[in-house]
Parts: sequence; C-alpha cells; structure tokens
Amino acid sequence: MRLFRLTFATILQRKAWVICVFAVLVLPFALPMISSATEKPILIQPARILAAWSTLWVCALFWGLFTAAREGETNAKTGVGEYFQTTGISPTRQLFEIWLAIFCFIAPLAVITAGICQFAATPADPVEQVMWWTLNLQYTALFLLVMAPLLALATALASRFGGITGFTVTLLITVYGLYGVGYLESMLKVEANPILHGIWTLSPHYSFADLTQRLVFKTGALPVSAFINMTLYFVGILAFYVGLSRLCFRTKLSA
Amino acid sequence: MTQQAPSIRLDSGLEIGYSTPLARFGQEVDLAGGTHFLLARNGRGKTTLLRTLAGTQKAVSGNFRVNGYVQYLPEDLRFDSEITPSIVFRTLLPKARRQEALDLASNIELDVRKPYGRLSTGNRRKTSLIVAEFSVKPDRGNILLLDEPFSGLDAFARQAFEEIWKNSASNVLRLVSCHPDYDSMAMPSALMIDGDRARYFKGADQTWSGLKALMN
Repeated sequence: MRLFRLTFATILQRKAWVICVFAVLVLPFALPMISSATEKPILIQPARILAAWSTLWVCALFWGLFTAAREGETNAKTGVGEYFQTTGISPTRQLFEIWLAIFCFIAPLAVITAGICQFAATPADPVEQVMWWTLNLQYTALFLLVMAPLLALATALASRFGGITGFTVTLLITVYGLYGVGYLESMLKVEANPILHGIWTLSPHYSFADLTQRLVFKTGALPVSAFINMTLYFVGILAFYVGLSRLCFRTKLSA
Repeated sequence: MTQQAPSIRLDSGLEIGYSTPLARFGQEVDLAGGTHFLLARNGRGKTTLLRTLAGTQKAVSGNFRVNGYVQYLPEDLRFDSEITPSIVFRTLLPKARRQEALDLASNIELDVRKPYGRLSTGNRRKTSLIVAEFSVKPDRGNILLLDEPFSGLDAFARQAFEEIWKNSASNVLRLVSCHPDYDSMAMPSALMIDGDRARYFKGADQTWSGLKALMN
C-alpha cells in the first residue's frame, strides 16, 4: 500500500482538507444564524440539516473531485505511476490505492455531517427520534455510494485526459444527476419525447440519494425495500463507473 | 536463505522503439548483478530501452528476459511539491531501512524537511535515488533501471551512491543510462546504442574515453 500512503500523506500535507473539515463542522451552526431561522427558532433545526448536508455535497463535489482529478493527473504525469507499475503495482491496484486515499478523507466528512444531524438536529418527538438514526445512516450510505465511483472516475479521466477534464466531467455528471434529471423529468411531464425519455432512463438519478428533504420535513426513513432498491441501483452505477474508470486509467502519459 | 541472482537477457534481433524501431540488437546480451552503463546520444533510445525492459513499453520485435524485482526510475520522476523527502521516505521505504536512508540523506546534504518543490534538481534526484536504493529487496535479486541518475548530482553524492552500488553488486543489477562527464570514468560493462544498432562492450579496463571513440 505504498501508493496509498504516499497519496494520503500528500493530501494531508496540502492541508486543503482542513477547510472542508472546518466548513462541515462550523457552517451547520453558523449558517442558520444568518438565516430567517433566527426569527423563527423552530426553523433552526431544518436550517442546520440543510446547511450540514449542502456543505458536505459542496465539499465532496468541489474539493473531493478536484483532489481526485489532481491525484490522477499527477500520478500519470510525474513518473510516479510508471515507477509503481514497474515494481509490480498494476494499474488497477494503483487506481484503487489512490481512490482509497481520497475516500479516507471524504468518508469522515460524511460521518461528521451525519453526526451533526443526529446529535445537533434531533427532532423532539420520540417517534421521530426513532427513525432519525435510520434515516441518517441511509443518507450516509447512499451519499458514499454516489461519491465513491465518482472519485474513481475523476482520478481515471484525469490520468488520461488531464485534471481539468477529470474534474469538470465528473462535476457536471453529478450536478446533472442531482438536479438536471429532475428538470428533464418535468419537461417530459409537459411533453412526451421518446429520445428524452431514453436519456432520462439512462441518466444517473443522484437525486434519489439526496435525502435532505426527508430530514428537513421529517418524512421518515426510507422503507427497507426502497432503500435496498436504491442501494442496488447505485451499486449498478458503481460497477459501471469502476469498469469505465479502469478502462480510462493510465499510469503514464502516452508516448 | 537462497536468493535468486538478478539477470537480463536481450536476444539477438530485439528491436526497441515506438511504431518504427530506434535500435536493434545484433548480438545476444546477458547481464548479471553489478553496474552496467547504457550509452547513446540524445534521442537514440536509452529511455525507450529502459522502459521496454521495465515492461511499460512494448518491444517492436524480438525477445528479452528480465529476472528479478524491477524498479525503473524515470529521469523526470518527481513528487508533490509540498511534501518533504522525509514524508516520501516514511511512506515509501520499509521501516527497517528508514533510518539508514535518513543517515545517507544527511551524509549527502539532502535537507529532508524542506518541501520537495523547493529542492534543487540534484536534491530531487537524491530523493528518488534513495527511494529506489532503499526499496531493494534483500532476499531476492533486484534490477534497477536508472534513467540518467547523475544529472544534477554533485560529485560527493555520486560517490556515495557508487559506493552503495559496489557493496550490493551481488543481488542488484543496475542498468544506468548516462552521459559521462569525464574520460577516465570506468565502464567495465556498457550497452551502447549507436545509430540504429545496439551493441555490448565488456572489459575490465574499459573507460568512457575508448567507448566515446567507438560511438562517434
């Protein structure tokens, strides 16, 4: 795991992760203070939930994908990937080790966010409290299932096409999956179109993994069957992206 | 403990290059443990040969065999500008050899606490050479393919590495591409790419001076 240790130490040394940790820890408490929640105390908890998960998504999408792309590009451009390959570390193993190093920073951010929601935004109603644990765990699991393959894809695309491409493409895919798919669905409701319907069907429906509204409006945990279906859906996307990432990943620039 | 001796065999007819051959071996070459130099003018295929032997590039045609734990150190290998050599050693070297590596770094005046991005070319080279030398597996044959390891290196550091090379010649085969800077440099074993031919020269008294005459 030498490449994992090197990548992890490199990210740690750059210290940009400190900003993310600070944002994830502080913004859920600071942002509600400058919102209308100050006038209506009942809104503080929903505002905190919204701030917590929005901050996590922003950190993961911008810092996480950027870091993944940078590491993928650096590995291919600096000769480090080629060096490791000659020592017997296969490209698949290299992609895994780089991915794991980045994921080790993203996963704790998700855990911190879930922790803030769990302990600093718990509903007062005992019935709602029971589902709170489950919903937080479901959200954390789905968030990590969405982010994990995107980090691998950003790394792989950047190793082949450069850091800007790796970052931009994965960022656009995620934003489209979170918001664009919803707009597409609205358009299809107004006017049916088989081509757009086909695109909609094949699109990554990341909005399924965004359970912020369920937390804000306390609509309860996902039913087990729905959660399993969503998990399987995102595992399918993960498998596809992993395959695509491996195909794209390069340990050195083409001659 | 038995350890397998490192070796490289290049068959006659081996052609290296990209889509078209850069050089062809007209004779079979067997290399064993010790230091072997790889000589050629710029752009004639030194790096291509090292990459081919390292397995990151395909030979145009022909066969070769590499026996041992391979490390190819590209000439332009570099680490992140914000990490220090000390972090590089801590993450890449086996724990048992870390202190030895730090001692050598101190001996050759490499500041291991300075960010990599602020090191001179020579000190960057020292960092990657230390990584390669101290990643050698003691229980098996090793092959180090070093692409111009001396570029930017001061004479004192170079001497320190040559000392290590001398002491580990039995289980480490080093193929070192370089542009020698003094005529009397001893080169008892040398692969030379001259035009589109690759040849092998061996002789206890062989120096760069004699080989240079052959190359030109």
